[in-house]
Amino acid sequence: MNRSEGAFDDALGWLLSAARLVAPRQIGALEDEIEAKLARLPTPLNEFGYDPWGFSPHAFRRPLLMLALLYRYYFRVEMRGTEHFPEGRFLLIANHAGQLPLDGAMLITGCVLEPDPPRLLRGMAEYWMPTLPFVGTTGVRIGSVVGTPKNCEDLLRRDEAVIAFPEGVRGLNKTFAKRYQLQRFGLGFLRLALATDTPILPTVIIGSEEQAPAFTSIGPLARLIGAPAFPVTPTFPLLGPLGLLPLPVKYHVEIGPPMHFTGNPNDEDAVIEGMVQQVKREMTSMIDRGLRSRSGVFTS
Amino acid sequence: MEKVLITGVAGGQGRLVARLAAERYEVVGVDRDQLVSFGDEAPFRVYVVDLMRRKFEDVIRHERPDAVVHLAFVRHFRTGVETRHKINVAGTKLLLDYCAEYGVRQLVVLSSAYAYGALPENPSYMSEDYPLNVSRTYPEVRDLAEVDTLCSSFLWQHPEVRTAILRPVNTLGDSVHSAIGRYLKRRWIPTILGFDPMMQFIHEEDLARAILVAIERKLRGIFNVAGPGAVPLHVAIEETGGVALNVPEQALRPLARRLFGLGLYPFPPGAIDFIKYPCTVSDSRFVAATGFKPKWSLLDIFAQLKAERHRDAA
Repeated sequence: MNRSEGAFDDALGWLLSAARLVAPRQIGALEDEIEAKLARLPTPLNEFGYDPWGFSPHAFRRPLLMLALLYRYYFRVEMRGTEHFPEGRFLLIANHAGQLPLDGAMLITGCVLEPDPPRLLRGMAEYWMPTLPFVGTTGVRIGSVVGTPKNCEDLLRRDEAVIAFPEGVRGLNKTFAKRYQLQRFGLGFLRLALATDTPILPTVIIGSEEQAPAFTSIGPLARLIGAPAFPVTPTFPLLGPLGLLPLPVKYHVEIGPPMHFTGNPNDEDAVIEGMVQQVKREMTSMIDRGLRSRSGVFTS
Repeated sequence: MEKVLITGVAGGQGRLVARLAAERYEVVGVDRDQLVSFGDEAPFRVYVVDLMRRKFEDVIRHERPDAVVHLAFVRHFRTGVETRHKINVAGTKLLLDYCAEYGVRQLVVLSSAYAYGALPENPSYMSEDYPLNVSRTYPEVRDLAEVDTLCSSFLWQHPEVRTAILRPVNTLGDSVHSAIGRYLKRRWIPTILGFDPMMQFIHEEDLARAILVAIERKLRGIFNVAGPGAVPLHVAIEETGGVALNVPEQALRPLARRLFGLGLYPFPPGAIDFIKYPCTVSDSRFVAATGFKPKWSLLDIFAQLKAERHRDAA
C-alpha cells in the first residue's frame, strides 16, 4: 500500500533523502533490514494494514528508520537479554531519564531490530498526547496507546508486549545529581500484571541518565508552558531548541529474565508495594552491575 | 406469532428492521411520517402517529405488542437543537411508560456509541460501563446520553420488561441518513490537520440483524455493537472515494460555528471532536451474549458507499 501518511511523514522523508546523500549504502541496508523485521512482527493487522489500536507497519517505516539511525550511529546501543522475551504478552519495566523520552524510543527500536522474531513494544502515552497534532497520530501509528489501564489490559490480553516506566516524569525529569537513583515507582503496572497474569521483564538502560545533565528545573516556567518540568542543562535553554539535543552517550540496555507475580490485583497498596519493591531491587542491582562494567559514558 | 411494534419505521433503519422482522413476527409500524417506500405493499400495518400524541397510547393499548423496537429518534439538527432534544428525550420517556403499563415483554432501544463522546483520554475499546461523556464537548447531542440513561434506569426499575440498549458505532448504508454517511459522501471532506482517529463502521443491514438478534435472544442489558473493525478516518475517506481537506483546527472550529449558525453547515462545532479523537468501543459483551458476526466487511461497506457516490454524481 502506498498511502500517504501525512505531512509529518513527508517531512521525515525529506530528512531521510538528505541523509541518503551522505550515506546511501548504510541507509539502504538499514531500510532492507527494517522492512524484513516489520514483516515478521506478530501483531495481527486488518485488510487495510492497521491493528485494532491504529498501529501500521507502513507508517512505522520512516520513523523507525530515523530511530534506527540514532540507535546504531548516535547512541550506539548495545542490547542484551532479548532471549528472555516470552512468546506471548509481557510487561517491560525500565528506568526513565534524560529529559526527552529517547530511552523509550531506543527500547522500542531495539526490540524490532535485535530479537527474532521482532517484538513491538507498545508505549503507554500521557493523556494529553492525543491532543497534539501530528505527534498524537504518529504515536498511535507506531504502536503507542493512551496510557489508560483499560488500554494496557486490553493489549496484554491480546498477547501484546507493553513498555512502562513506573518512575514516570519523576524519572524523566530528574536532575543529574540523582542519576541512576530509581525514583518512586507507581503501582499500576503491577496491578495490571496481576490482573492479566503477565510476566514482568525488569530492564535497565545505562547511558540515558547522562544524556541531558540537568542542574535544576524551573517550576514557574514549566507551569507557564504546561510541561511537567523546565530543565536547565549546560546547553538548554542557553542554545535554544538546539540545546535539547542529547549528548552522544553510549546506551547499554539489559533486559532481565521474567518475574512472575500472583495475587489479588485490587489488594491494598502495602501488599502491591512489596512486589513493586522486588522489581525495583532487581533493577537497582542490574544498574549497579551495568555501571561497574562500562568503561566510560561515551565509550563502551 | 409474536407481535413487534417498531417506532420510527419510516426511517432508513426502521424500514430495514421492519422488513427483516416481518419474516418472523407480526409487525406493527409507527411513524410521524408517511411510509413512502413500501407503497401499498408494506407487509405490515403502519400507523402514522406522533409519539407525543395521545393517539400513540391508543395504538399500543389496542395492539398490545409483545416486543417494541424504539428507533424514533431525530439524529439531525434541521428542526433545531431544542426540538431534537424534546422529541428524543420526552418521546422516549412516554414510550417507556407505555411499555411498563401495557405489558410489553421485550424492548430494544437504539442508542448510540456517540454517547460516550470523542475525548482524548478515551481508551481505544470502551466497554459499556464507561461514562457517557458526550455532553462535555458536544452539548448539542446531550439527548443521546439522556435517552440512554433514561432507558438504563428503566431497565433496572422494570425487570418485567426485558430491555436491551444497543449502542452501535458509525452506521453506513444506502437507506440510513446518518451524520457520518452524509459527511463521507461529500466530495471534499474537511478533516483536521494532524489528526486521524480510528473509526468503527457497521453496515445498516448488520445493525438491523443485531436488533433482531436482541429480540430473538430476549437480551437484557446494555450492549455496544461494533461492526467488523476500525480504520483511521483518512482511510475511510480514501476508500469511499472522497478527498480529504486538511484544515487547521483553529480555522475549522470558528468556520463550523459560523456556518452552522447560519444554517449552511449541518453539524455544530462539537461534531469536530468526532473527527479529531477516537470514540471506539468493545463489543465483546454483545458477541458473548449472541455470537453476532457482521456479514458486511469494511471493504464491502466502503465499496457500497463509493458506488453510491458515483451514482449520485452521474
